[in-house]
Amino acid sequence: MISITRDVIDTGAMIEAAKRPGMGALVTFCGVVRDDGGVERMELEAYEDVAVRELEAIRDTAMRDYAIESVDIVHRVGSLLVGETILLVIVGAGHRKEAFAASEYIIDRLKQTVPIWKKEFYREGERWVQGEAPGR
Amino acid sequence: MKVQVKAFARFREALGSDPVVELPEGSAMTALLAALRDRAGGEEGLMFDEAGALRTHVVLMQNGIRVKRDDLDTLVLADGDEVAIFPPVAGG
Repeated sequence: MISITRDVIDTGAMIEAAKRPGMGALVTFCGVVRDDGGVERMELEAYEDVAVRELEAIRDTAMRDYAIESVDIVHRVGSLLVGETILLVIVGAGHRKEAFAASEYIIDRLKQTVPIWKKEFYREGERWVQGEAPGR
Repeated sequence: MKVQVKAFARFREALGSDPVVELPEGSAMTALLAALRDRAGGEEGLMFDEAGALRTHVVLMQNGIRVKRDDLDTLVLADGDEVAIFPPVAGG
């Protein structure tokens, strides 16, 4: 499953749903709102159509380039508190090494290309998180 | 003609959510950018340099396709186009 959601991400349920008989390994990356110097919450927004399309392209490339069986990516938008899950990536594979490698590829590319932004809110003040400059 | 603008993050705060910009038929992307510069008021420095050129980190998309810098002057817009403008992405 590839999706952008405003709902709480149920990590356990998603991992169970991703399992297939041929998988010996499911590698999970879970991105979480961190209390970074007094952050209380975060607001995330997405250019949704383009973000979903890019997530699908990332999944398709990972499926082509690594010996894996499945890729699920769910990214949260809206207002999130410290400790809430922002992003869940699940890669299912026969064996762990390819699943780890594919997971790293997916999260690295996601951070560079998927149009999503986040703003941190502190007790006093707010700040947009600086993005990585995109390729031209 | 009308062009639907989608601005995100701090650019959305400067330009407003989903503004529709009226332009003469056959206008180029540069005409839209000039309108956005005016619309941004005191915040145009987020997107444009002192000479009025788009800053290098700004991303533009026309109907979901990335616009190349070299095409800015020649790209002609059509009624109903969706143009997105945003800073470097920061998801994950």
